Amino acid sequence: MLLSVESIQTFIGQFHILEGISLEVPSGSITALLGRNGAGKTTTLRSIIGLNPPRTGRVLFDGQEIQGRPAYEIAALGIGYVPEHRAIFRDLSVEENLRIAERRKGDLAGKIDFIYELFPDLKRLAKHPGGKLSGGQQQMLAIARALVPDNRLLLVDEPSEGLAPIVVEQIVASLRRLSDQITVLLVEQNFHMAAQLADRYYIVDDGHTAHSGKMADLAGDQALITRYLGAA
Amino acid sequence: MIRKIPPAGWAGAALVAGLCLFPFAMALITGQPVGEGAPKFWQGMLIQVFILAVYAMSYDLLMGYTGILSFGHALFFGTGSYVLGMMLKHAGWPLWQAALMIVVVAVAQSLIVGVLSLRVSGVYLTMVTLAFAQMFFILAEATDFREWTGAEDGLQGIPIPSWISPTDQRLRFYFVALGFALVMYLLARRVVSSPTGAVMVAIRENEPRARMLGYNTFVYKLIAITISGVMAALAGGMNAIWNLNANTAMLGVGTTINALLMTIIGGAGSLVGPMLGAGVLQLLGYWLNAAFGPRWPLIFGVVYILIVLFFPYGLVGTWRLRGAGLLALWRRRLGEARQQV
Amino acid sequence: MTNFLKQNRPLIIGSLAAVAAMAWALSQYEPKVAASILLSGLTLGALYFLVTSGLSLIFGLMDVLNFAHGLLFMVGAYMGYTLYANPRILLNTLPLLLALAGGAILARRAAPMLPKIPGGQAARWGLWALAVALLLLGSWGFDLAPLASTGISAGGDVPTAEAQEALGLFVGRLLALAASGIAGGLALALGQPFAGRSRGPRGLVLGAGLLALALLIAPARTLGEGAILGLSSNLRFLIALVVGAGSGAALGGLIEWSLIRPLYSRPIYQVLVTLGLVLVGTELVKGVWGPTGYYMDTPDFFSQRGEACPSPNLVAWLGDHCASIDVLGRPFPSYRIFIIALGLIMFAAIAVLLRRSRLGMIIRAGVQDAEMVQALGINVRRVFTMVFALGAGLAALGGVAAAPFIGVNPGIGQEFQLQAFIAVVIGGMGSYGGAAAGALLVGLARAFGDQIVLSGIQLPFMAEAVKFSPSIARASTVLIMALVLLIRPTGLFGKKD
Repeated sequence: MLLSVESIQTFIGQFHILEGISLEVPSGSITALLGRNGAGKTTTLRSIIGLNPPRTGRVLFDGQEIQGRPAYEIAALGIGYVPEHRAIFRDLSVEENLRIAERRKGDLAGKIDFIYELFPDLKRLAKHPGGKLSGGQQQMLAIARALVPDNRLLLVDEPSEGLAPIVVEQIVASLRRLSDQITVLLVEQNFHMAAQLADRYYIVDDGHTAHSGKMADLAGDQALITRYLGAA
Repeated sequence: MIRKIPPAGWAGAALVAGLCLFPFAMALITGQPVGEGAPKFWQGMLIQVFILAVYAMSYDLLMGYTGILSFGHALFFGTGSYVLGMMLKHAGWPLWQAALMIVVVAVAQSLIVGVLSLRVSGVYLTMVTLAFAQMFFILAEATDFREWTGAEDGLQGIPIPSWISPTDQRLRFYFVALGFALVMYLLARRVVSSPTGAVMVAIRENEPRARMLGYNTFVYKLIAITISGVMAALAGGMNAIWNLNANTAMLGVGTTINALLMTIIGGAGSLVGPMLGAGVLQLLGYWLNAAFGPRWPLIFGVVYILIVLFFPYGLVGTWRLRGAGLLALWRRRLGEARQQV
Repeated sequence: MTNFLKQNRPLIIGSLAAVAAMAWALSQYEPKVAASILLSGLTLGALYFLVTSGLSLIFGLMDVLNFAHGLLFMVGAYMGYTLYANPRILLNTLPLLLALAGGAILARRAAPMLPKIPGGQAARWGLWALAVALLLLGSWGFDLAPLASTGISAGGDVPTAEAQEALGLFVGRLLALAASGIAGGLALALGQPFAGRSRGPRGLVLGAGLLALALLIAPARTLGEGAILGLSSNLRFLIALVVGAGSGAALGGLIEWSLIRPLYSRPIYQVLVTLGLVLVGTELVKGVWGPTGYYMDTPDFFSQRGEACPSPNLVAWLGDHCASIDVLGRPFPSYRIFIIALGLIMFAAIAVLLRRSRLGMIIRAGVQDAEMVQALGINVRRVFTMVFALGAGLAALGGVAAAPFIGVNPGIGQEFQLQAFIAVVIGGMGSYGGAAAGALLVGLARAFGDQIVLSGIQLPFMAEAVKFSPSIARASTVLIMALVLLIRPTGLFGKKD
């Protein structure tokens, strides 16, 4: 297992958000984290990366316990985070947005051709400030930013949010291309998109992992989908 | 009827009764007459506490209840002092008219400062309020208005009516100050337990949410600033009577910082806390000054930083947190003891 | 372009109004007076900028309003002055601080390599108690007063032997403080299980180096004092700038690390704690240097007098170093030109740092979203400490530069801080350009005010020139701030939130 999360509980202020989340992400897979709004998907990702450290439970990355360590140390182990709403640095140019993600000098130089091939738009806009990009372009930049260092795991939060269907297709295509080099834990509201990409799924409901299995099985189980995700 | 009074109410009543008896008890203990020597000195000490208590409480209405961190509270306190002084000294008005004038000026001032500074929020507001207060401080020092303000000397020799003179009628003024603090406390309690007070707390907790619920938070914040400003100005007026003068220090940053210290030490977000803080600050200042001489603010500053770091809820808040636990523990012990019997 | 005009209409109208007002006001005076007003405004603006820029950077990046910024300005002024005129205090206290810090860093970094200390929490408290006890032991009876009181203001031999403690006692103190630092460092390391791993030997070298430096300075105190005072005043002033800024930066870093960092989850308390620092710091400064102020000489480079003075122009001044330069027939102090130049250089240097360096890129990104920067694998907390130190260093540098201009006293911090706050509100928090513009505007306003105090101003429709006291000139900047708030609450260059 590249990543295993063992019954973590996370509080934000007074609120008990995660009440026992467990999941496993095997190397080389795309695992989808599904669930309704407010179920705790985003908090799960933030707990893994260390932005909302879990109060109890364990998080193992490549067999190493990482819970409770500062976020920058966790990220430096090889985890890329593509947050909700993209969090592009508006005042930095596209190129700077990529360069800031370097962990060693030369990270970007080795990857830049691949990144620009994957997202040709970014090459054209390299000198533009990140804030001037469209939503889709920002999403591409956010994914590209996570590819700059040698990451082994990507935590991707709602990449389809607020994007036109045709842009979503582009993102799906790029994530699929990445999937043979990098492991992905994907949070997604858009069931259609998740079904296209993921091998396995976990359903989060009310701070618990409620269900898990193979994506192919879930796609056929309309009752389960309606129960946990609403209409698909 | 008696059943309805909570234990805290009884404690409050006992405290007030104690404070009423204090001058006489002091006289009994020291064997000196109530209007002279040590009893008179300690009455003065407590008068200062009462005035500062009202001032600190008014600050907490802003900081603790509404969540507005203003650094310009001295503005109201000092203005109250100056208005009273000018009305009595230059206009020759009777006391009650001067008091009315304080209210009028304080309302106008807090509305102007409020409207301007509420255009920004957070630490911006902190800086803006500080700047406004400093402006008045500087103007009070300005030699251009020496005729009215006395410039850097302050407004000396305010003619206080003899019936309330803090030097000749100390005991009477003691009760006036105590009554003043009590009335202000009851007023403040009325405010915080009213629907307006609830909105103030809602603004502190989550302003966007309060706005979403349909409250015009700007107006409520303005109300909070105005109430707080008027109370502080009245306390300032009392202070002018007590000191027989109004001086620039009352408008200075130091006075604002005092409000902050009293509130933090006593515990923000309660009315009793800052009043308690005023007592602690006054007495601690007196003792530290006696023990360490003029460098005592150094010791005091260190104590203050430690409180901010380790007891962020102040005396009252920490008591509420820990006290509840202690009380529960105590009850459990009592229960166990009873079972064993 | 039209879009830009539309979006920034209040800003543009405001700037035009400001320029027009300024032009009108300048036209009321003869050109030579107007020129000196402008130059004085630039001088003040440069000093305000040094305070404002740090304040604004710190706030922009970590949302901390540093009320101790004026304190740092004052500390810079005192440290610079001390090195310049009476380095004895420094030479007799610096080794003590170095020993303490060196011990702490050494122990903190060495702790992971040592066998685990048994006892857990109890051991930690024990170590803290030991550290405090050693600290008290090491500083027991240490008296600064004789060190400060015998100081003379410039040059020559100083009889230092009787003011200083004997070498043996002093080294004893050093060892006690180093031990205290080691105990404290171990206690810290125990409290933070994840920190300090795999940092390599750099920390160890730094810690050991500081300790060695402390022991080296100790026997050379008298020698060092003579050597510093024997230097030319220009060189001493240069060192004073570096030492003042450096000590401000070190103090700033220490403040962030020890007092601000534990409170990131309680933002209001950060403001409150910096306020407490002002109380403590001001008293400490009064305790060490006395409640009254000092006058600091301008270095020789800016203070020659004689036949040829004032210098006819800047180029001639480079040759004769007169105390003042002729500007349109009116002498203007050359030292103030230096302050202006310093302000411009620092403005450019920080701008380059922000635009061109990796640290600058991280700062610009962090201003917007520090959490995301952290999630990229960058230790944002360390960047916070660095930026706090940088801002503190800038303020302290301003303090040193201001010392020969306005003197050194315990009140300068507060005055500059107030004007810096006003400048920040005018310019817009978190905007570097805004900080500069606000500082410049406030500086110019102050210079105008000062001129009006001197000679009055002829307002239209008034028979006589209006005159007022210096106080009103000081208060007038608040009115400008109120005006800006009315028109544009986020400040001239502030981002709309």
